[in-house]
Amino acid sequence: MKNKPTTSRRDFIVKSLTAISAVYFIPDIITKAESAKPLAQEVTSDTKWAMSIDVDKCAKGCTACVDACVEENGLYGFDRPETDSQWIRKLTIKNIKDDKIKVVPMLCQHCENPPCCDVCPTGASFRRVDGIVMVNQHTCIGCRYCMMACPFKARSFVHENLTEQVTNAPRGKGCVESCNFCANRIDHGISTTACEEACMKEGHNAISFGDLSDTKSRVNSALKKKDNRRLRSDLSLKQRVTYSGI
Amino acid sequence: MHQLAIRLLLSILILVTPNVFSHDGINHSLIGKSKADSQEQCVEPTEIMQKEHFVFLYHQRDKTVIKGVRTKNHSFANCIDCHVSYDEKGKAIPINSEGQFCQTCHVQTAVNIDCFSCHASVPRGRKSVAKITLENEHNFHITKLTNEIINHVGDYSGEK
Amino acid sequence: MDKIVFRKFIIDSKTFWTMFFGLGFFILVGFLCSHYMETEGHYVTGMNNQIVWGLPHIFAVLLIVIASGVLNIASISSVFDKKLYKPLAPLSALLAMAFLISGLAILVLDLGRPDRLIVAMTTYNFKSIFAWNIFLYSGFAAVLGLYIWTMLDRNVNRFSRPAGIFAFTWRIILTTGTGSIFGFLISREAYGTAILAPLFIIMSLLYGTVVYYLILRTINYFQKTLVSEEIISNLRKLTILFLFANLYFLVLYHVTNLYIAKHQAFEKFILLDGGVYTFAFWFGQVIIGLILPIYFLLSDKKKSESSMIKSTFLILIGSFIAMYVIIIAGQAYPLKIFTNYEILESSFFDNVVHSYIPSIYEFGLGLGGIALSLIIVLVGVANLDFLPTIIKGHKPEDKTDSVSQ
Ligand code: HEC
Ligand code: HEC
Ligand code: HEC
Repeated sequence: MKNKPTTSRRDFIVKSLTAISAVYFIPDIITKAESAKPLAQEVTSDTKWAMSIDVDKCAKGCTACVDACVEENGLYGFDRPETDSQWIRKLTIKNIKDDKIKVVPMLCQHCENPPCCDVCPTGASFRRVDGIVMVNQHTCIGCRYCMMACPFKARSFVHENLTEQVTNAPRGKGCVESCNFCANRIDHGISTTACEEACMKEGHNAISFGDLSDTKSRVNSALKKKDNRRLRSDLSLKQRVTYSGI
Repeated sequence: MHQLAIRLLLSILILVTPNVFSHDGINHSLIGKSKADSQEQCVEPTEIMQKEHFVFLYHQRDKTVIKGVRTKNHSFANCIDCHVSYDEKGKAIPINSEGQFCQTCHVQTAVNIDCFSCHASVPRGRKSVAKITLENEHNFHITKLTNEIINHVGDYSGEK
Repeated sequence: MDKIVFRKFIIDSKTFWTMFFGLGFFILVGFLCSHYMETEGHYVTGMNNQIVWGLPHIFAVLLIVIASGVLNIASISSVFDKKLYKPLAPLSALLAMAFLISGLAILVLDLGRPDRLIVAMTTYNFKSIFAWNIFLYSGFAAVLGLYIWTMLDRNVNRFSRPAGIFAFTWRIILTTGTGSIFGFLISREAYGTAILAPLFIIMSLLYGTVVYYLILRTINYFQKTLVSEEIISNLRKLTILFLFANLYFLVLYHVTNLYIAKHQAFEKFILLDGGVYTFAFWFGQVIIGLILPIYFLLSDKKKSESSMIKSTFLILIGSFIAMYVIIIAGQAYPLKIFTNYEILESSFFDNVVHSYIPSIYEFGLGLGGIALSLIIVLVGVANLDFLPTIIKGHKPEDKTDSVSQ
């Protein structure tokens, strides 16, 4: 967001105009999501958000999902890889049997029995009834016990003062944070997370997100197409994020 | 054709009364003031707001974070959007900086709030977006475009 | 007949204030360090998203473990009704209180948001062992307060035995809880076994005993209190006993881990090829912390003071390293996310053994915590009647006399 090229005033006015018109008119020409919940309604357990990741489709060298997440949630780092937050990251893995190399995105697995929530002393780590595991940053005291408990290293601690947060994703020093399935987006009726959107935009379609209760959802069709499995199934955490192809 | 004319009219209307409708967070007629300056009333009667604004905020905060309720009326993001002022360059001034809306009264009453260590003190980033689905390619293209434009415009609304 | 009375610590005011300000300086430094970490954020520390618990937790857990351990003397006197130890029980309870408070202070000051302590005290998640520990700790402080009161106030003296038994039970549960903080972490290979709880109890017995001995000796240096040779030799015997018990449980812990298929890779790491962690384990925890003290104590046929003091220091160094091995090495070992795959590359260090280089601030905070516990002891003994003294023909310093009336 820094060092942007200077744009002429006219250019700028034209762009603002387009932006305004886009915001005002596009909703009309695009069909609304059928299952979108009214903003005033509380989430219910009838909705079951889930994600399926097809590892065979995940492209080497592509970081579209990671970039989109950074963009969506304002996760700008400080070039300190050890302390910068990562909600989704890409791993390169090698099969120990046939030496095949694959890449996978790793993110919060949104367990149905989340260890992070079991250990959290204040209950700030919680599972929303629609299956999203997240941190209530208003009650998080920053003890980091959840990070000790997570088998996937899905969580990050904010190690410094932040100033460039985006309005849609507040975050700040001293609290733990992690992927929340873009709760803010989906509550506003968008049926895709930033990472899935980016992956589809790239044409890879490795990530499929959606509601398990909705038979037509993308995640359900992905689950039907291929055998999915959970990581660390020995812990019986019943994650909502599943993988096929590994 | 008829529809188009209405839309055109509407867009002109939007452009001439940006205080009311502006969604990009910056507008030249807002310089030196906030959207609230040209409004009659807050989201609740003013006397109630003066005494109980934090009750609404605390209530909304739990409703939103735990139950996923996203009503706009008491939303924190919305307070900031409406109450933030713009400087002579049309840049939003952090709402908690000296002399600004969320700060002046609090100094007088020695209230200390930490909300802005996490919450953006100016409208920043993508607006809470229109309702769209992404079931087909065409829409994809449009969202992409919209987002790009909005993000770009966001650059102007002046961070920091 | 001899009579035991409890007296204040009589120390000339110059020494007292020197100690007071010396310790106060460290507390101030510790506080400034924590303040700096809090305002800047944790990136100034050695902790990061890989090693999430660092030096402050080593200090804090160690102090809490010691807190429950120093209560030994009081427990022996009240639970097992040993008259010999009775005069020393109040001091023991005071030490427990002091170490507990300072351990907790470090834990709280290291939180990401210490300002939200009130949240931690008012909203509990009863599924969390951590929340139960908050209960156990604050409860322990209250129980100790009660116990000290029953011992020091003649009017309620008859309740001191039940209070002592209660405190003893509480501390066993407390240390079990502390061990379980790690024992419940099923996802990490180093933890997630039930043996960690008894291991912590047995560690607390050892560390508590030697810390008690050290403090007693320090007080003794300034003022002859009632410490009979019998007690000293008993403390020595206890230390040897606990050393062997520790060794036994350590072996048990690692042998059971070797039998659990999931934990074998970690065992290989810690015992053989973990670099600095393997070294810390063998050289620090085992040799310095257990073998050398056993050797010094057993080889010294004269049972001299110096061998005991030497062992005490070695055990305390060893205790610190033991905590380092449990807390840091357990996190340094990478998580095994995939069963059939090995991680080659990651931007989040999933494939490497993490290293931890603590910063000076964390160290300052830890030392501040220790100073805090010592200052509580100092002020406590100087202002309240904690130290036993014999009234017998005006010869209070005669310590060869047995206590029993
Ligand atoms: C649509 C724009 C708008 C929104 C959104 C909005 N306000 Fe207001 N607010 C106003 C206006 C206009 C006034 C001035 C009313 C008056 O002068 O009587 C006001 C007044 C106030 C006052 C009293 C100020 C004073 O000086 O007496 C407080 C406090 C306040 N708002 C807080 C909030 C909070 C908190 C929120 C979010 C829950 C919020 N406002 C959302 C427009 C808004
Ligand atoms: C540690 C960071 C942090 C602090 C400090 C913080 N919040 Fe939040 N807040 C969040 C996060 C994260 C969300 C969730 C945003 C979402 O899901 O859209 C949130 C959401 C909210 C919401 C609902 C979303 C909205 O825009 O209406 C309200 C209201 C809110 N916070 C109020 C407050 C108030 C008032 C304070 C100060 C007393 C505060 N917060 C302090 C992190 C924080
Ligand atoms: C009319 C003056 C005024 C304005 C404007 C104002 N506040 Fe307040 N605010 C107060 C007063 C007075 C209190 C203390 C109320 C009390 O404790 O009874 C307070 C308390 C609060 C609290 C609770 C603090 C606590 O310690 O519990 C929050 C949160 C808060 N304000 C947020 C805001 C935000 C956000 C804004 C800007 C949108 C804002 N206030 C604007 C006067 C104001």
